[in-house]
Amino acid sequence: MFELTLQALYSGLLTGTYYALVALGLALVFGTMKIINLAHGELVLLAAYVAYTAESQWSLNPLAAIPFAMVVVSVVAIAVYLLIDRIKKDRELNSLILTFGIGIILTNFVLLVWSADIRSTTTPWFQQAVVFGDLLFSSRSEILFFLISVALVGATWWWLSQTWYGRATRAVSSDRKAAMLMGVNPRQTEILSFVVASILATVAGIAIFTGQVIEPSLGHALTVKAFIITVLAGMGSIPGVLLGAILIGVVEALTVTYFSSSLQELTGMVLFLVVLLLRPQGLFGFGVRRG
Amino acid sequence: MRANGILPAVAVIALYLLVPAALGHVDYVMSLIVAALTIGGIAVAWAMLGNLGGMVSFGHAAFFGVGAYVSALLTLDAGWPVFPAMLAGGAGAAIASVVTMPALRLRGPYFALSILAFAHIFRILATELESITRGAGGILSIPVLPTVAGFDLSSKIGSYYVILTIVLMAMAGYAWLRRSTVGLALLAMHDTEDATKVVGVPSTRLKAMMLALSAFITGVVGAFNAHQINFLDPDYAFSGLWTVLPIVAAIFGGYRTISGPLVGALVIYLVDQLVFKSFLPHGHEIILGALLVAMIVLSPTGLVPLVRQTVTLVRQTVTRGHHAAA
Amino acid sequence: MGEYLKTIAIAGAITLIGVVGAHAEDILLGTHVPLTGKLARVGTGMHEGIAVAVDIFNRDNKGRYTVKLITINDETNPAKAVAAVEKMSSQGVVALTGGYGSNIIGPASEAANKAGLVYITSGGVAPGLTQRGHKGFFRINNTQGYSRAMMGLLKDMKVKKVSILYNTKEATSDLAKTVDKDLSGQGIDVVLHAFDGGTSDFKPLINKVKLRDKSDAIGMVAYENDYVAILKAGKVLKPNVKAVVGVWSLATSKMNGEFHDLVQTVYGTSMLPYPAEFTSPEAKDFAETYKKLHGKEPDYLGQFGYVQTKLLLDAILRARKAGTLSTGGLAQEVRKTDSDTLIGQVKFNENGDNPLFSHRMGQHQGEKVVLVWPENAATGDKQFPSTPWSE
Repeated sequence: MFELTLQALYSGLLTGTYYALVALGLALVFGTMKIINLAHGELVLLAAYVAYTAESQWSLNPLAAIPFAMVVVSVVAIAVYLLIDRIKKDRELNSLILTFGIGIILTNFVLLVWSADIRSTTTPWFQQAVVFGDLLFSSRSEILFFLISVALVGATWWWLSQTWYGRATRAVSSDRKAAMLMGVNPRQTEILSFVVASILATVAGIAIFTGQVIEPSLGHALTVKAFIITVLAGMGSIPGVLLGAILIGVVEALTVTYFSSSLQELTGMVLFLVVLLLRPQGLFGFGVRRG
Repeated sequence: MRANGILPAVAVIALYLLVPAALGHVDYVMSLIVAALTIGGIAVAWAMLGNLGGMVSFGHAAFFGVGAYVSALLTLDAGWPVFPAMLAGGAGAAIASVVTMPALRLRGPYFALSILAFAHIFRILATELESITRGAGGILSIPVLPTVAGFDLSSKIGSYYVILTIVLMAMAGYAWLRRSTVGLALLAMHDTEDATKVVGVPSTRLKAMMLALSAFITGVVGAFNAHQINFLDPDYAFSGLWTVLPIVAAIFGGYRTISGPLVGALVIYLVDQLVFKSFLPHGHEIILGALLVAMIVLSPTGLVPLVRQTVTLVRQTVTRGHHAAA
Repeated sequence: MGEYLKTIAIAGAITLIGVVGAHAEDILLGTHVPLTGKLARVGTGMHEGIAVAVDIFNRDNKGRYTVKLITINDETNPAKAVAAVEKMSSQGVVALTGGYGSNIIGPASEAANKAGLVYITSGGVAPGLTQRGHKGFFRINNTQGYSRAMMGLLKDMKVKKVSILYNTKEATSDLAKTVDKDLSGQGIDVVLHAFDGGTSDFKPLINKVKLRDKSDAIGMVAYENDYVAILKAGKVLKPNVKAVVGVWSLATSKMNGEFHDLVQTVYGTSMLPYPAEFTSPEAKDFAETYKKLHGKEPDYLGQFGYVQTKLLLDAILRARKAGTLSTGGLAQEVRKTDSDTLIGQVKFNENGDNPLFSHRMGQHQGEKVVLVWPENAATGDKQFPSTPWSE
């Protein structure tokens, strides 16, 4: 039992950091614009498929595909922003429906271009095992993206709190008018947060392509997962995203170990609802979400 | 004002008499219309919650599925007749909505997605609670709609009348509610919640009532679908499609109007199946997504208000023309 | 998209051939399959086989009878499948072949039953489908046949204990439970592990198999994405099992090509070895026509689609000659079927089920899929014990 629990904690930690990578972009846009981009998971998936094309058509290593994927995803994300920017009334709810529609478009676009077949990397390097002390088992892809994920969470947090652009972004999110008076262009900072979110989405997409299996319907599931983590984290809390994601990962892995793997999604959802209803400000946040 | 009274009456008569007379013999088209009305029923319930309650739900599949399961199991295992079972299905969905009510305290996006979480949870429960729901294998041969006074309601025209009646009753109830004091209070609350609280409108209780009513209607529609398709499994009953299509339909038709969701559902579903499918067989859902985006950006109030505005504009121009001539 | 257009083109070509045979009597045959949606890939595969059966029939009956095939895409949606059946019924089809997924076939065949049409399929294995008392419903495969193959192979291996990982979807949980019952009846220990379709990391589950179950073999009753994810977890944790045995969509040329390293020595159900070796004249004819129409090697989906349609067309011909085709005699003719086909003996019982159905097991060996069970169909020896992660 000890060995099983240890591996479950370890697997949960690794899965959690990859969840964090998926959720980070969503949380960033959410924190700066108060908008939930329901097409975020589809952007992640889009990056994964660009990596697939790069690998299968041009024999590129999936990591080398990151720049291409980044450009593609950023262009789409800016288009999403420009559409959201045209909403004048009831921005919070209308943007929800708008990005939901964009998600449908992207999912079907992926289906049309790449078909419904499942894909995953064929580069064997990523799948090879990394074992610590004959107790902790993982794949190279997981270890690699664990490190990248922690680094990116740190970088995003540093960017938001330490750089001028980051502070400008936060200023816009807390008081748009005042920020304008201070000489900050709110549209510019908002576009910037979308671009940063695309970069994070791209890395997440490559992580999924190298570590797991992709198919067109995955995007929506990723969005839901990312939203759950953002709620657990608490609005705008970047380190909270990492902790919330790890919490979900560990709870899921422990559910599999102690109960049944058919209940793993259930426990994630229940955890989400419990936190939402009992502690609406999130586990690590201060904002208020009550109606 | 007069036109407003006559138009719905004409539409209702056309739906009851002309549609079956013109298309009743084409089973295929009737099937599509029945499916469109099923979506329309959910769309009405969804829009009612959005318009009067100010709540956007991304998980109406939860109520659809619960209604379908309750009704199917009552007829199969408890020997209930179909129509009482369908009402019980609606009641079951309303009771299920009570479970989701703590979410009412949450603001827009959080509410929307917490209902989605409930839809997921219900699907997993339907799979896991095998002794009650028969598990992932689903339920085959669910009893068909009965024959009443010699008229077989399980026939294409029969099921058309049943779902049409369900949808129109829902719309009538919605229209009545909107004009009632409760409806006015709800609409006022939607604009300025704090203000209504001050004047003593119990906002949470009203919202809860709206959620239960919306769930009830959705549950009855789900029950209807179960007895019409005669099959259920967790994936189908709680499929995201039961959420997505009604939202698209309601937004497209105009979710702040009574007729918008139904018009939207009929237009979207029939045009999608009869037109889009023929020239874009593979990913025609992409057009639905594009329509949703275009509607939100260009005309967030939807199709019906757009048409109404245009008609008023034309009429004004014509009247003005008259005056000028005289 | 390409696949889809090809399917349409073929359906069109068949209709054209029909038009050319001017004096022949036309027979309308209907099919609804998912060409889009969740089951698009398998639906397209089945449709390719249906097209082959129609092509061969028209060639053999040139000048006398011409079958015109009407195809409607049901988009993996029950309501749309029902509408499709009704549309084809109004167009005057004599019978229906096709359908994929028990939740689609259920309502669609219900509509066919109402319209008095014969419906034959191989796309849904739910036991309930053949227990509805439909006189005109026939199915050439079933859960038992899959279970029999999996059980037969495991028995040959003389394993004592098997861990079965199964997706909680309808077809997979049905099959997993049947396999469980059958194996337990043979005195083999079974541990069942259900998992949700959304599961992406199987390490905690495989670790349970490795440390707690300590089974001799892993069974997988799941779909392509699950197989790949399970095998990836297996490669990392390397549980000490002697074999990994799956079912459908696994021992295929596609999996061998795309996930070559991952699937080595893994078993799955397969009627054909790969590359396909056809020996009987009928099989050769099928393979050649398939290549002519679709420009590729046939797969198991095409084979099932072909067999079900061929049996139906044979029965249609008999009924036509007996003059009972228009008077409801077709169901009786289909029931008289007793035929050695590409998928083995087919003989229907009173429910329209084919109790003789038994699948075969293939194993990925290098670039090939070798048939290893049953003995009389085997094209090679199994590599045993072996897993994708054994050195």
